[in-house]
Order: sequence, then C-alpha cells, then structure tokens
Amino acid sequence: MDKFRVMVIDDEKIVGDMAKLSLEQEGYEVETFLNGAPALKRLEDVRFDVVVTDLKMKGIDGMEVLRTVKSLYPDTKVIMITAFANLDAAIEALRNEVHDFFPKPVKIKELKASIARAIKK
Amino acid sequence: MKIKHKAILSNAFNLALIVLIGFLAFQNLDLVLTKLRFVEIADDLNASFLEMRLSEKNFYLYRDDKALLAIKEKIADTNKSIASEKADIVRAVGEKNLDELELRLKAYSDAVDNARAGGRSDWRIEERLRAQGKLLKEFSEEITALERARANDIILESKRILLYMLCSVFLLAIAVSHFASHRILGSLRKIERAAKAISSGKFSKIDGVTSKDELGSVVKAFNTMSEELREREEEIIQAKKLASIGTLTAGVAHELTNPLNNISMIAQTYEELYDSLSREQRLEFMGKVDGETERIKTVVKNLLDFSKPKEADLLEADVNAVINKTLTLVQNMLDISNIDTRLHLGDVLPHVYVDAHQIEQVLVNLIVNAIQAMDSGGRLDITTRRCEDCGFVEIEVRDNGKGIPPEYLPHVFDPFFSTKGVDGTGLGLSVSYGIIKNHKGNIRVDSKAGEGSAFTIELPVYKGGDKG
Repeated sequence: MDKFRVMVIDDEKIVGDMAKLSLEQEGYEVETFLNGAPALKRLEDVRFDVVVTDLKMKGIDGMEVLRTVKSLYPDTKVIMITAFANLDAAIEALRNEVHDFFPKPVKIKELKASIARAIKK
Repeated sequence: MKIKHKAILSNAFNLALIVLIGFLAFQNLDLVLTKLRFVEIADDLNASFLEMRLSEKNFYLYRDDKALLAIKEKIADTNKSIASEKADIVRAVGEKNLDELELRLKAYSDAVDNARAGGRSDWRIEERLRAQGKLLKEFSEEITALERARANDIILESKRILLYMLCSVFLLAIAVSHFASHRILGSLRKIERAAKAISSGKFSKIDGVTSKDELGSVVKAFNTMSEELREREEEIIQAKKLASIGTLTAGVAHELTNPLNNISMIAQTYEELYDSLSREQRLEFMGKVDGETERIKTVVKNLLDFSKPKEADLLEADVNAVINKTLTLVQNMLDISNIDTRLHLGDVLPHVYVDAHQIEQVLVNLIVNAIQAMDSGGRLDITTRRCEDCGFVEIEVRDNGKGIPPEYLPHVFDPFFSTKGVDGTGLGLSVSYGIIKNHKGNIRVDSKAGEGSAFTIELPVYKGGDKG
C-alpha cells in the first residue's frame, strides 16, 4: 500500500530535517521545503495527505499555504506551527479549517499524534 | 541689589553731580559779583582821588585856598563812602589793605591841613602834599588793578571748573550707564545662550552670574529648570529605551523561540532515534545544538547591547557590519510589517570611529520610524557610501512612506517633537541627533509628503590612532 505523504514547510532547516527523520520512522513519506513558493509549486503536481507549515515565513506565509492547500485539496489536513503565537492568527487559521495549531517549541510526539488523527479522519 | 535700585542709585548719583556743579557755579558767580562791585567802588575812589589831585594842581597854579578846601571835602566824601561800603571793601581787598588805604588818606588829609596852615611860601609842605597825594593815588590804582586781575582770574577759573565738571559728569554718566548695561546685558546674553542651548537639547547651566538682583534670581531659576530638564530627559530617554525594548520583545521572542524549538526538536529526535543513529549523526546533532545556542547567545547579546546605558565608547568599526547587526534586531518587525528591505552596502568603505551600540540605537530609531511611516507595508532602502570630499561615510535610510510635511521638517530633531501623537515621546530623533553630533557626524532629513523620507547619517572616517 502507498505510504501517507507528509509535507513540512519551515524556513528553519533543522525543523524540516528533524521532522523528516522522525516521521519517516513512522512510515510516512516526507518532503521538506524552506519556503512557501516551491512547496505550493510541488503541491500543484502531487497531493499530500498532511501539510505541516510554519506560519511566519518570508514571501508566501503559512496562512496563504493553508488557503491554497484547502482550495486545491479540501481533504488534505494542514497543521500550523508558529514561534509567534497569537490569537488573531489562530482564529483565522481555524476559519480556514486548520487541523491543528502548535506553538514552538513543538513536541514531536504531539505532532505525530496530530498527524495520525488527521489521517484517520 | 535690585536692578530698580541700581537704576535709581545711578540716576541719583548723576543728579547729585549736576546739583554740585550748579552750586559751585553759583558760588563762583557770587564771588565774581563781589569783586566787580569792589572794582566799581575802587573806580569811584580813583575818580575821587583824581579830582583831589586836580584840585591840588589848581592850588599850585593859583595858590587858591579854595582848592585845598575842595580836597578836604572830597576826602570827607570818600571817608563817608568807605565807611558805608566798608563790609564789601573788606571782603574784596582785606582788612590790611583797607587800613593802609585809610592811613594814606589820613596822611594826605594831614598834608592838606598843613598846607593850609603853613601858607603858600613853605615849599617843603607843598612837596609833602604832592608826595602824599601821589602815594594815595598810586596805592588806590594798585589795589584796583589787583582786584580787576583777581576778578578776571576768578571768571577764568569758574569757566575752567565748569568745563572740568561737565566733562567729569559726562564721563561718569557714560561709565555708570556702560557698567549697568554691561552687567545687565551680559547676564541677559548668557541667559539667551543657555536658552538656545536648551532648545537644541543641551541642558547647560549658566555660570558667572552671581548678582543678587532680578537677573540673579532669573539665572538661579533657569539653572534649576535646566537641571530638572536634564534629569527628566534622562528619565524619559530611559523610558523610551524601555518602550523600544518592549516593541522589540515580540521580535526577540521570535528570534529566541526558533533556535529553542530547533534544539528541542533535535533533542527529541535524538532521544527517539538514539539506537538507530550512527556516531556521525549523533555528532552532527550535537554540533547543530551548539550552533543554535550560538544563535541564542547572539540575540541575547544584541538585546543587552541595545539596552546598555549611554556611554560613548568609540572604536574602529565597519559601517556595513553595524547595519547587519542592527537588522538582526529589527528583521522580524520588518517581516511582520510587510516591509521589503533592500541593502545597497558599498564595498571597500573606510572604517569609521564610532560607538557601535549607539549607532545601532540610532539605526533602530530610524528603521522603526520608517516602519511606522509605511502603514500598509512598503520599501526600505538602506545605502552606505563614501563621501569622497568630506571625509565621511554616509548611511542613508530611505522609505516610501507617508513622508513629513514641509512645515514639520525643521523640527524633527527637536526634543519632544512628535507627529505620532500619544505613540511617540518625540525623543527618538532628538536622541539620535545627539548621538550623531557626539560622534562629530551629521544627520539630516530629506522628505516629501506622500513620497517618503530619507535620513542620511554622516560618520567620520577612522584615521588611525586613538582619536578619529
């Protein structure tokens, strides 16, 4: 059977690297991107089951990624992580049907649990 | 002494001098009048003596006893008029001369009596009469001439004294006015200079005015005010700095959270995958952790540098490095505010002689102002270049925000001037101005309402040695 596909977008390279190592351990197929533009370009070609994105990034930010993903693939779950937790951003993300919202520092176990729930739904 | 009292005193002094001159002039005039009076009396006497001598001549020519009688009458008249004018004559010629005159008149009178008794034949009596008459006439003419000369002298002296007094009063009046105006205007000029200094942000004290008059009080009040303003300014600058730190905190939190998150994720992954990780991978993980702690250290150090108290610590520095360090502090604010920042850093720029922390503070001020001028995002251009002729390195911070209205342009560096209403203390640019001036540099602004603003800082090129 095909592996579930998870995309991780964060301008901090270590976040992508660690998430990839850890999630691959769980049997996911993981692709990482440092900013929104190449990630969205990739999404035009391939559907991902879960997209994990940082909120604040140069150029295309996490909120735009969320909206684009939801318009392209309404079933794809988006998990947002941010170093700058703020209520307005959280509410806007919820309106755009975000699956989960994590402030940094992220607990990888919680992230994994959230991804697992996203796939079961 | 109060200025009012000084003015009254100097006027009273001048008035007293004028009264003194008037009094002396009056006294001299009185004396001259007395002398003239006596000259008049003396002239009368001389006329009488002349008549006596004429009668005497008639006696010699015609041997007429009537002539001697006429002389006697004249002598009696003269004695009478001397007695009636005695006080004036004594005052004019003195007791001694009057006694002498009376003595000679008596001698002449006796000679006339002898002539009458001795008849016409005795030539010795005649001789004696002639001699006494001559003596009397000579003495009278002598003292008349003397008195006339003395009257002239007194008039001349009065004239001279009046001239001296006028000159003295004139010079004294000038001296008193000059002294008063020098003291008053000198103090006023000092106050004016200090007021100008305060308006340009330097809270200097006024020295050298110790008078106890109104000016002294003004200077004392002024110095107290200056001192209080200085203390207040330091408080406000500190408050402003704290406020800036508050603004920066959001950005700094972001800057700290990212490396912390990285470390956390490395640690979690390390723990989870420990058994499957190779030695090289474990070392790589630890290396990354070390790298992230370095990032945190840098952020914390920048924050500390920014909040350090103001003390110019001039060192040789690279302007571009200072700008890059400043940007790490404000990068997040720029990102959040949707500002497109472009750097145009000149290469091979000479080093400058600056306190890098203070220049960072100035740049943060300028960048924060630029961000606030660009409400809905915009473009920020930071340019460094060398000014070949003037020995400066220039930093230009240009935004395309709302700009500054022309009527505000001359005041943007004034303390407490702000266009931001309650959001600004009006000290940011004033403090920046002070810092740049302390560096012997310049800061200027060029702005068009609706098109944006450009602030240019000029910093002196490092010339080697301890002083820039």
